[in-house]
Amino acid sequence: MATTQQQPSSDYVTLVSCDGYEFVVRRSCACVAGALRRMLDPNSSFNEAVTGRAVLENINGIVLEKVCEYFYYNEKNKDARDVPDMDIPPELCLELLMAADYLNT
Amino acid sequence: MLTGRGRGKIRAPRRGLSTPGDNVDFDSMWAVLASSLREIHTKNASKLSFEELYRNAYKLVLKKKGEALYEKVKQFEHDWLSTEVRGRIRSSLTGGLLTGAAGSISGMTANERRVAGEKFMKALKSAWEDHNLCMNMTTDVLMYMDRVYCTDNRRPSIFAASMALFRDCVLRSPLVAEDPTTVAMILNSVILDQVRMEREGDIIDKNLIRSCAYMLEGLYETEEEEESTKLYLTSFEPDFLDESRVFYKAEGASHLRSSDAGTYCRHTRKRISEEQDRCRSTLSPLTAPKITSVVEDELIKRNIREVIDMEGSGVEHMLDNDRIGELELVYELNARVDPKKEELRRALQKRVVELGSDVNNAAINSSQAPPPQPPEVNGETRGKGDAKPPAERPVNQQTAAAIKWVDDVLQLKDKYDNIWIRAFGSDQGLQTALTRSFSDFINAFPRSSEYISLFLDENLKKGLKGKTENEVDAVLEKAITLLRYIQDKDMFERYYKKHLCRRLLMGKSVSGDVERQMISRMKMEVGNHFTQKLEGMFKDMTVSEDLTSSFKDKIAKLGDPDQKRIELAINVLTSTMWPLEAMAPSTSGEEGRARCIFPQAVERVKQSFEKFYMEKHNGRVLTWQANMGTADVRATFPKVPGKESSKERRHELNVSTYAMVILLLFNDLPPGESYTFEDVQGRTNIPTNELIRNLQSLAVAPKTRILIKEPMSKDIKPTDQFYFNENFHSKFLKIKVGVVSSGNKVEGTEERKETEKKNNDSRGGTIEAAIVRTMKQRKELSHQQLITEVITQLASRFVPDVNMVKKRIESLIEREYLERVEDAERPAYRYLA
Repeated sequence: MATTQQQPSSDYVTLVSCDGYEFVVRRSCACVAGALRRMLDPNSSFNEAVTGRAVLENINGIVLEKVCEYFYYNEKNKDARDVPDMDIPPELCLELLMAADYLNT
Repeated sequence: MLTGRGRGKIRAPRRGLSTPGDNVDFDSMWAVLASSLREIHTKNASKLSFEELYRNAYKLVLKKKGEALYEKVKQFEHDWLSTEVRGRIRSSLTGGLLTGAAGSISGMTANERRVAGEKFMKALKSAWEDHNLCMNMTTDVLMYMDRVYCTDNRRPSIFAASMALFRDCVLRSPLVAEDPTTVAMILNSVILDQVRMEREGDIIDKNLIRSCAYMLEGLYETEEEEESTKLYLTSFEPDFLDESRVFYKAEGASHLRSSDAGTYCRHTRKRISEEQDRCRSTLSPLTAPKITSVVEDELIKRNIREVIDMEGSGVEHMLDNDRIGELELVYELNARVDPKKEELRRALQKRVVELGSDVNNAAINSSQAPPPQPPEVNGETRGKGDAKPPAERPVNQQTAAAIKWVDDVLQLKDKYDNIWIRAFGSDQGLQTALTRSFSDFINAFPRSSEYISLFLDENLKKGLKGKTENEVDAVLEKAITLLRYIQDKDMFERYYKKHLCRRLLMGKSVSGDVERQMISRMKMEVGNHFTQKLEGMFKDMTVSEDLTSSFKDKIAKLGDPDQKRIELAINVLTSTMWPLEAMAPSTSGEEGRARCIFPQAVERVKQSFEKFYMEKHNGRVLTWQANMGTADVRATFPKVPGKESSKERRHELNVSTYAMVILLLFNDLPPGESYTFEDVQGRTNIPTNELIRNLQSLAVAPKTRILIKEPMSKDIKPTDQFYFNENFHSKFLKIKVGVVSSGNKVEGTEERKETEKKNNDSRGGTIEAAIVRTMKQRKELSHQQLITEVITQLASRFVPDVNMVKKRIESLIEREYLERVEDAERPAYRYLA
């Protein structure tokens, strides 16, 4: 899912990590995170909302990849029960937690 | 690179997740934020990076600078609102409005006021909308602060805080120093002014007011934002309700003076729906129930009584003129303020009782208008239509009055039922009220039982002839409806029995089926005990038919050679079932129950039947009731000597038994001879008044003058002479000689007293029975309980008089059925087995 290609479609948004990796994810997935939802809300007129591109200075590529994976995982299993846990490498735990706090996920 | 490691090791994250060594300098960061906020407020947000602002706020909060940030933002908003926004609003105010809020909005035309008000509200609305938008964006940017700082420290979210700032800095702040007038006050007065304009028929910008109301709804008194502290509810709504109350009070008073009830009601309903619309489209739906109740209070509750009683157009007028629509309105309005519809019910009951009393009085008047003539004068051709002799009118008129009364009552009932269904939505409470009113006036009329029975009698005798089943059903249903209202059902039973008895014995009933149907209906309505005797009467009739035919068979078998033998049709009646006193109405006469002397031939048949009957039923006593019978007599009139053309004439005379006896008397009399009245009486032993009646129909009535009376006059005197009329002439072969039967007529005063007395007697018995029944079961009972119990038991039959019950208890004590319980707290009785 890591890709550098940007698709300027309103259904997709681009998330950029602090080290320059770009992730194009479905808007609905990105909106799992409260901060991203507000950031990209088409109704608000911030720069991010206008361009559909959010640069996250706080998060590096590895963590952001995991975050995006979680977005999809979350959306896919939104209504399901007894979902298997996501595979989280222990060394990423703290950084992921901080990212989650930051993004209000 | 990290995932490549086999065993994961948790390591501390790099500081701050971002640019390391990023010292947090509050002032510089706030400077960035503040300028960004200003950009937001001036609608230049698209240049800003959400992420940057968010990250800044995030950092500040992380570095425990949340409180400072919070305060700074609040300060920023305060400054912005106080200077920029308030200034804008002040400039939107046109001079008059400022003073207007203080009270009088004089000096401006309505149009000027409206324009000024709209301008003001537009400014306020746009200020509010801008503020909302900005604060939404600000909140988004400061989300992390809200989430972490505000929640942890129990501060209201920055959004709520800024809303409170808007309230205080814009709405609650005086616009000019030294003038207490605030924006909120001006807003209130402007909205109220606009609403008043709309009430008076102007057109106003509803959407604009709606958004202002919406703004007030979005603001709260406190930062906790409880529902009940909405500014709309605390500052605007009370003003609005007060203002409306004053307005509608004045309007109610002026409309009450100037318009009729129907218009008033229509107007009121219009106002209510207007107010509801206004709440939907202009103000807030929250107010709808409250303003509705204000209008209801002022326009309905306060005035409904006067409207209902309004002379010439109130409920009375509506009822009389079948104004269904208006009645429906009145009902609807009354129901709004009072679930019991007290006022409407009062008016309705009053009118029903009034009309009912009119009907009652009309019946009494028309039955008393002609001079009360004794029923003896009645003619014999009753029921023959146009040929009524004038003499029979009084009695007929009374009967007609009875039937008219029933018809009138039914008409009234139909009318009100109709109104009830169409205008009052079949309301339960009103039905009870109507029923009570009908019952009141029907029971207030002393002859109701008699009249209803008479009505049935009339219908069962001729009224139902040739009618379809449905029509018959309808008539019976009507009668039952009325019966339902009657309290003294035993009285009705008495009359009905009497009338039924006559119908059965004289064979006047149109159809046995209908009779039976009626009885089964009464059974359903009133109960088994009520119809027991009536059914018994029917049974007697069938048994008698069998008896007659078997007696005839027996005679035929005997081969009686007598060609002139008399055929006998007999009705054997059980004396307890049949109202015998009704059959012999004047037993109070001097003869008592003296037997009529039958002529020989008849006496023989009578004896032979008695013998026959005794063979079948031993131990029974037969009493012959000649006064109820009829006989067919074949009479031969000789040639009239003077006229050659005339010849011997044969006629079949249908006469009463007594008349038959009298006529047979003349068989033995040589032509030309006569009997005096006393002779006839001596030879027949017929009770005087019966005799008078029969002689009248035989000798006075013009069409059936079989006897000649000397001297010729209407009244019968003891010294009158009677001859056989050999010149009798009639073009019919069969002649019916009618005799007055007082049974289906309205009773005279005497008879009424008698009936009432009898009724009271039988009530006495019923009451005693009820007392004994109760006591037998309970053994011991207090006086009060006993009385209640007895009255409930008897309620379906009649309403017993308490005094009567007391007297009966006394008499039962005397006869040692009961005894008083000594030393009881309350008076009580004990049953003695």
